[in-house]
Amino acid sequence: MTTYQAESLDIAVIGAGHAGIEAALACARMGLRTALFTLTLDLVGNMPCNPSVGGTGKGHLVFELDALGGEMGKAANAVMLQSRMLNASKGPAVHSLRMQTDRVAYRAYMKRVLEQTEHLSLIQAEVVAIRVENGVLTGVETAFGAFYPATCAILCTGTSLKSRIFVGESISEAGADNTVPANRLSESLREAGIRLVRFKTGTPPRVHADSVDFSVMELQEGDADPVLFGSDAPAVNRLPCYVTYTNEETHRIIRENLHRSPLYSGEIVGTGPRYCPSIETKIMRFPDKERHQIFVEPMGLDTKEVYLQGLSSSLPEDVQKQLVHTIRGLEHCVFMRTAYAIEYDCCDPTQLDATLQFRTIRGLFGAGQFNGTSGYEEAAAQGLIAGINAALLCKGEPPLLLSRGESYIGTMIDDITVKGTDEPYRVMTSRSEYRLLLRQDNAKERLIGYGRHVGLVSEEAYADFLAEDTQKKQEIERLLREHLSPSEALDRLLTERGYAPAPSGIGKAEFLRRPFLSLEDLYALEDAPPALSPSVRRRVETELKYEGYIKRQLEEVHRFARMEEKRIPPDLDFASLGGLRLEARQKLSERRPETVGKASRIPGVSPADISVLLVALAQYGKGEQDENR
Amino acid sequence: MQTMRTVAAISTPYGKGGVALIRITGEEAIAVAQRVAQRTAGISLADTPSAKAVRVTFTEKGEAFDDGLITLFRAPHSFTGEDTAELCCHGGLFLTQKLLGAVYAAGAFPAGAGEFTRRAFQNGKISLSQAEAVGGLIDAKSDRFLRVSLLQCRGALSEKLRSLTERLKLLIVSVYAYIDYPDEDMTDVPVPELQEHLRGLIGELQTLCDSHAYGRAISEGIRTVLIGKPNTGKSALLNALAGEDRAIVTEIPGTTRDVVREQVKLRDLLLNLSDTAGLRESDDPVEKLGVGRSLAALREAELVLAVFDGSTPPDEQDEEVLRQIRSCGKEANTVFLLNKADIKDADTAYRAFLPEGALSVSALQKSGLDRLEQAVRKKIGVGDVEADSLGEIVVGARQYAALSKAKAHLSDALAALDGFSQDVAGLDMEQALATLEEVDGRTASEEIVNEIFSHFCVGK
Repeated sequence: MTTYQAESLDIAVIGAGHAGIEAALACARMGLRTALFTLTLDLVGNMPCNPSVGGTGKGHLVFELDALGGEMGKAANAVMLQSRMLNASKGPAVHSLRMQTDRVAYRAYMKRVLEQTEHLSLIQAEVVAIRVENGVLTGVETAFGAFYPATCAILCTGTSLKSRIFVGESISEAGADNTVPANRLSESLREAGIRLVRFKTGTPPRVHADSVDFSVMELQEGDADPVLFGSDAPAVNRLPCYVTYTNEETHRIIRENLHRSPLYSGEIVGTGPRYCPSIETKIMRFPDKERHQIFVEPMGLDTKEVYLQGLSSSLPEDVQKQLVHTIRGLEHCVFMRTAYAIEYDCCDPTQLDATLQFRTIRGLFGAGQFNGTSGYEEAAAQGLIAGINAALLCKGEPPLLLSRGESYIGTMIDDITVKGTDEPYRVMTSRSEYRLLLRQDNAKERLIGYGRHVGLVSEEAYADFLAEDTQKKQEIERLLREHLSPSEALDRLLTERGYAPAPSGIGKAEFLRRPFLSLEDLYALEDAPPALSPSVRRRVETELKYEGYIKRQLEEVHRFARMEEKRIPPDLDFASLGGLRLEARQKLSERRPETVGKASRIPGVSPADISVLLVALAQYGKGEQDENR
Repeated sequence: MQTMRTVAAISTPYGKGGVALIRITGEEAIAVAQRVAQRTAGISLADTPSAKAVRVTFTEKGEAFDDGLITLFRAPHSFTGEDTAELCCHGGLFLTQKLLGAVYAAGAFPAGAGEFTRRAFQNGKISLSQAEAVGGLIDAKSDRFLRVSLLQCRGALSEKLRSLTERLKLLIVSVYAYIDYPDEDMTDVPVPELQEHLRGLIGELQTLCDSHAYGRAISEGIRTVLIGKPNTGKSALLNALAGEDRAIVTEIPGTTRDVVREQVKLRDLLLNLSDTAGLRESDDPVEKLGVGRSLAALREAELVLAVFDGSTPPDEQDEEVLRQIRSCGKEANTVFLLNKADIKDADTAYRAFLPEGALSVSALQKSGLDRLEQAVRKKIGVGDVEADSLGEIVVGARQYAALSKAKAHLSDALAALDGFSQDVAGLDMEQALATLEEVDGRTASEEIVNEIFSHFCVGK
C-alpha cells in the first residue's frame, strides 16, 4: 500500500478512551499540535464496564487529576446520577468518592470538549504502526496509508490490541462493546523492541429495567449531601442503585457449568485482575461464602439498561441467563448485553520511566490499560501525566515527576514502572504508605501548583484555591487560639458523647481533637461560626483532628526522601559489583533504577543487595579504591 | 547460583595451637583449595564428596609444607550457601599464616568482619536472629545461654517471629480488604474482634519483651554493685561468689580503695560485680576518691548488694549507707545482706533497722548464698525459666528494642480503633509489621545489617 505524508504533529495520541482524552487535552491545552486517533468517533470516552467514576482509591485519583487540570472529574460532575462517599466511617484518609454517571451523556460531554479544544484534531483512523529511527520516534501510520510525522506518540490503546471476546465457547475477534480490534499495531510495537504481555478482564450483563423487580431489592440512595469531584457546587442525586444477592442455587449452576467457562477450559491465556474477579472465580475461590452482593446500577437517564455489578462472567449465554434468573428481583429479567471476558495485548510497564516514556524509544509514551492497569481513573491519570510530559519534552522543558509521598498518581506510576505488575493493576488506598497525607480533601493543596506551572490550571482557579487555603489556615489558627466557655449546652454534649463535663470550658482545637466530636458540633456551640465552604471545613477538621498522625507521616516522607534522592550514576556497572547476588545484578542492569529508593523496590533486590549498592556508591564518589581493602 | 567473590579467613583463634582451620567460601572456593592442597592418594580434590574430611598435603610453588585435612561443602548445602572448603592444618602461627597466604595467592580475597555469617544471611540460609545466635554460641559462658543460642541458631525465635508477623499480616489484610472493598461485604472483621486479636499479639510481644531481662542476665550480665560501710565483708563476698581470691581481704577497714570488677555466676545468671570501697567519711585522699567512685557505681547499678556486719549493732555509718541507697533511688533494686552470720546471727534490732527481707549470710563460710540467688531473681524480675521456652528468650538489645517498638505500635492501633478509625489503625499495624520484620532482617535497613555483622570477628 502506498503511504502519503499527512500533516506534521507535535504529538499523536492513539486511542480516545479515558487515557487518550486526558493525554490529548493536556497536550493541546499546553499549545502543542495534537491529533487524537480513535477506531470509532461514536465511542470517544466510552465506559465499556461499570457506568461509574471513582471508588476506593480511584476517587483519590480523580481528585488529584482534577487538581492537576484534568477533565474526568468535571465530566463526571456534569453527568452525575448518584454520589456516595465510601468509607465515610473509616477515617478521612480513606474517604473515597464514587459517582454513578450517565455513560452516553459522558461520551457526549467528552466529545464536545475535545472538538472545542484548540490545536486538537480528532481523527477516526486505525493507527497500524509507529516509526522509530535510531531510538527516536518519528511518526505514526494509519490503516488508510497516512504517515503523520510526530515528535511524540502516546499509546492509549486500552483493550483494543488484538482483542478477543469470550462468551462461553463463543470466541470473537472484537474489542470492548463489540468494536473493531486493532490487530496490526502489536507487530509494529514488537519490531520496535517493546515487550508485550496478554491480560484479560471482563464485564457483567446489562438487563432491561422494566423486567427487574426492584421492590424486593435493597434500595441504595446517594448521600444526603452529595459531593462532587473538586467542586463545592450544589449537586442532586437523580437515580438510586439497588442491592441484591446471589444464593446457593446460583452457585450450583455456576459450579455445574464451570467446564464451559473459557477461564477454566484454558482458552483464555491472559492474566485477569484478582480484585475484580468474575462470579465463577468468586464462587471457586470462596466456596464457603453463602452469597455475593450484586449492585444494580443505572446506565443513564435516557436508557432502560441497568448494569449488574458483581456478575462479571465468561460463561456461555444460556448459563448466564440461568444463573441470573436465580437471583432475587432478577427472576424474569431480560438480557440486553451478555457478559463477556476480553483478552488483549498490553506492555510490560517496567519498560517505561517515571514520565511514562519508553526508556529505549525517545518520544514514545504509554498510558492506561496499555500499561497493564485497569480502571477508567487509573487510565485517565496516566494519560494526563504522559500528555504533560510529552508536551514538556516537545517544549524542551524538564519533566513533571510526581512522588509517592505526594500523590496516588505518583504511587501508581512508581508501582507499575518499578515493581511491574503481573495482573491488571488497580489503585487501592492500601498501595500508599502515606495515605494519611494523600487525602481527597487536600488534593489541590498537594498538586494544583504543578497544574498551574504546566499551564493546565487557570490563574483564576489558582487564585480561588489560594483564597480557600488562606481561609483554612486562618480557621485552624483561630481554633487553636480560642476557648469555648463553659455552658450547659457544652456539658450536655460532652456527657452525651461519653466525655467528662468541662466546668472551665475547653480549647476549641482540643474539643475538635476528641474522636467523637466534629466541627459541626463545635459550630453549633459558637455564636458566630465562620461561613466556610464544605471542602474548607473538611480540611480544617481533618488537619486538626489528625495533626499528630499527619506529622508522623510527614517525617516518614522526609526520611524516605533521603534514600529516594540518593542517585545512582547512569554509568554505574551493576555487573561489576562484587557482593550483589546474580538475580539482583540482572534486575538492576535491566531496569537501571535512577535512585537507590527505586532500586530497593524492585522485586528480587534484597536489603542486603541494597547495602552492597550503598557501599559501592560511597566508593564511586571517592574514585578508584584498593581492591584488597 | 551465587556469584560473590571468593573469600577466606582463619576461623580458629589467633595463637599457637594443635590445629588451625582456614575457611574459604565463594564460587571459586574449591578451585582455590585445589591450588594449595593435593590429596595424598592422588585423587583429584574435585572428585571428593561433600561433607567428608580427606587427607591432603598443603604445598606452595610445588613444595609441600604441611599435611592436613580438607572438607568440602558444595552450594547450597553449606553454612554460607556457597561452595565452601575448610582447610585444617597444624596450628603453628607461621604455618597458619603461610597457608592463608597461599590461599590468597591462589585467588581468594581476605574475608571482611563477619562475612561468612553475612553471606549465609544474604543467601537466605539464616535469618538475622539466627545469625545473631551464632554470636551467642561463640560468646556463651553458661549452659543456659549456650542452649538458648543453639535453639535460636536452629531458628526457634525466627519461627516465633514468623508466626507473629503472619498473624499480623492477616489482620492488616482484613482491615484493608474492608477499606478497599466497602461494597463487597467480604472480610469484614468487626472492630471488637480486631481489637481482641491485637490484644493477643500485644500479650505475646509483652512476653517476649519480658524475657529480655533474663536474656540479658545470662548473656551480658547484670550491672551489680557491692556496697556497705568499711569492713563488712564485701570483698569476702565477692571472693565467695567468684570462687577464688579475687579481692584482697584483711581485717583492716578500708582495705579496698578502688572499685574491683569481676563477672560472677549465680547459677545461670551473670553478675557484673563491682566491689567498692566502704562508704565512710575519710580524710585519706585515696580513700576519699574511692568512696566517690563507689557512689558513681551505685548510681549506675541495676542490682545492689548492700552488705552489713550483722555481728555488731547498726551505727551511723550503716545509716549513711541506707541513705545513699535511697537517695540514688535504688532501694527497690537492693538485696540487703547481714554478713558474718558465722560470728553472730543478727539480732532483731538489726532486722528492724533494715527493710524487710534481709538475708543472713556468711561470706567466709559461703553459707546462705543459695537464698541470695532467689532474692536476686526476685529483684530483677527473672523467675525460673522453663526449658521449653528457652528458644523464645530475647537476648539482644536490638531485638528487644524492635519488639518493644512493635508492641507500642500495636497499642497505638488498639487505641486508634477506640476513637479514630481503621485508616489510622491500619497505619500503626503496618509500622508494627515493618518493625517486627526488621528483627529477622526481612526488611532490615543497611545500617542494621552492617552493624550486626561488624560485631562478628573474621572467620566465623
